[in-house]
Amino acid sequence: MTKKKKSWLPSGLLTFICIWWIFPILVVLFNSFKKKTWINQQPFTLPDAKTFTGLSNYLTVIHKYHFVSAVGWTVFITVISVVVILICTSMCAWYITRVNNRITRAIYVLCVFSMVVPFQMVMFTLSLVANQLGLVTPWGIIIIYLGFGAGLAVFMFCGFVKSIPIEIEEAAMIDGCTPLQTFFEIVLPIMKPTYISVGILETMWIWNDFLLPYLVLDIKKYKTISIMIQYMKGSYGRVDMGAIMAALIMAVIPVIVFYLSCQKYIIKGVAAGAVKG
Amino acid sequence: MATVSLKHIVKVYPNDGKKKKKKPVNNLKVTEEGVLAVQDFNLEIKDKEFIVLVGPSGCGKSTTLRMVAGLEEITRGELLIDGKKVNDVAPKDRDIAMVFQSYALYPHKTVRQNMEFPLKLRGASKEEMRKKVDEAAEILGITEYLERKPKALSGGQRQRVAIGRAIVREPKVLLMDEPLSNLDAKLRNQMRAEIIKLRQRIDTTFIYVTHDQTEAMTLGDRIVIMKDGVIQQIGTPQEVYDNPANMFVAGFIGVPQMNFYDGKLIKNGQGQYAVALEGAEIVLSDEKQANLRKQNVEEQDVTIGVRPEHIELGKEEGKTIHGTVDVSEMMGSSIHLHMNACGKDGIIILQTLNMEPQDFPQIGQDIQFTFSGNVVHVFDKTTQKNLEF
Repeated sequence: MTKKKKSWLPSGLLTFICIWWIFPILVVLFNSFKKKTWINQQPFTLPDAKTFTGLSNYLTVIHKYHFVSAVGWTVFITVISVVVILICTSMCAWYITRVNNRITRAIYVLCVFSMVVPFQMVMFTLSLVANQLGLVTPWGIIIIYLGFGAGLAVFMFCGFVKSIPIEIEEAAMIDGCTPLQTFFEIVLPIMKPTYISVGILETMWIWNDFLLPYLVLDIKKYKTISIMIQYMKGSYGRVDMGAIMAALIMAVIPVIVFYLSCQKYIIKGVAAGAVKG
Repeated sequence: MATVSLKHIVKVYPNDGKKKKKKPVNNLKVTEEGVLAVQDFNLEIKDKEFIVLVGPSGCGKSTTLRMVAGLEEITRGELLIDGKKVNDVAPKDRDIAMVFQSYALYPHKTVRQNMEFPLKLRGASKEEMRKKVDEAAEILGITEYLERKPKALSGGQRQRVAIGRAIVREPKVLLMDEPLSNLDAKLRNQMRAEIIKLRQRIDTTFIYVTHDQTEAMTLGDRIVIMKDGVIQQIGTPQEVYDNPANMFVAGFIGVPQMNFYDGKLIKNGQGQYAVALEGAEIVLSDEKQANLRKQNVEEQDVTIGVRPEHIELGKEEGKTIHGTVDVSEMMGSSIHLHMNACGKDGIIILQTLNMEPQDFPQIGQDIQFTFSGNVVHVFDKTTQKNLEF
């Protein structure tokens, strides 16, 4: 009896937390199919014959608010930034781990320290500097993302590189590899699990990021999805809640699909970094 | 196929700048410069010779091998492969191959891709790669595993793949760093035989590192015995077994290890050298007499060394030493008797072939043993050097 009670309690508690956690997303999903007049009146009910509006909210977002353009810029910034972060930080972590001297140790400490500094602390000076350096374009923001993403990525990659036996790299050197060939032919494929986990974490962060592009990007020219949603609030407080709900759903779907398909690698990669780091 | 010359090779690991010097592992010499891992290493390796570097952990054997491979910088001295100085030549340009203790296979590549990799980097054609890999796989008996990944192979199979990757490009020198250490005893014996066979099939110079004296004795044309970064002796397996240069070599080569007793080197009435041990006096063989005379050795206190397999039981007074059996190990064809004699522990190996079971010495039994004058070794008590050389 006692055993049964013990096993039931945590499950029940966790189920409740899951529902509590997922409830706001479900509210957004249901409301995205409702006519905008009903959203304020019945926000917590399922759509019925009277309130259901089909895909009209989604079509409004696509046609009226230049959703495709926002998706384009978001995809561009996310993909390029993540690729740049992965390549640069993995090479950096490889160097830091294999060339163990004062300079590399200092770089490692700096990278780890950068994770501790909150973005809000540096955002105003950063936006000023970014403006002066002309980093207000999607290409420029990639460099800023590289800087902010490097801390976590270098930390995780360092943890994994330490677990790769040095003999494998020495064997590659003797087989005839140059350092670059050793990295791309041998080290990079071995680091695949960490690449995937770092890639997922960075993708989720950059895709959902609002503050940095909002501060840095030239908003008139380039809008990411999160900025576009913010701009859906019209003048004089007029808000198309239906469209906003639909935009939110469309914004989170790619990340959720991406996460679900790769979640096992996140755990693997994070564990490798945590244990070996 | 190449000669390798190591001339006055020295490897120093510099102090890391901290004020307090680190105490090195073992008894490695420490200078202002740093820890001397290898000291004045001189060796001429002939073409197609199989050289084995052997010694306990931390003796500098792997460091020496890694210097030949180009994975460690040479602090001083010259390394020549085929007469060409290669101190500053990158590992890939030395035309060497290396087999590592941990196999060091590329985990994301199949066995075939692992073996093709060095050829691919040298721009070999697909046909050539396929042909050479198939040939090497045939030699090593791994043809059926070519499409598997390393994780799907056993330890022995992985080591074969590692050897295959090394031999596939026909290197001038094949380096092996304790390749059998990760295998279990049975597989190790099997792989040792495989390496002997392989050696007969491929014409190349081998440098093999091991801490296992059995591997060294069975594989090497010549053995280099090292301790604390210094060469103790270089010679054929038989030479180092019969004529160990010092007590370290005498103790390291041979299983079970040589017994050592404190005794005296004396000259008897006829002016012959003899060893005196607890009342027993054993006259040395003519060859040993000549060697000692050549060195002008005086009567003195010495350490006497006798191998367990050279000791026999006897009863003749004045020629035998008394001991007590502590442990008796039945090995089938022989018995290993652990006994205490002259205040020291030692071992005797008795062949059981011509003995009745009731004659086997029992634990606690007093025994008398002796040895002949041609198998005894006399070492200087202070320098531990063999007085014959």
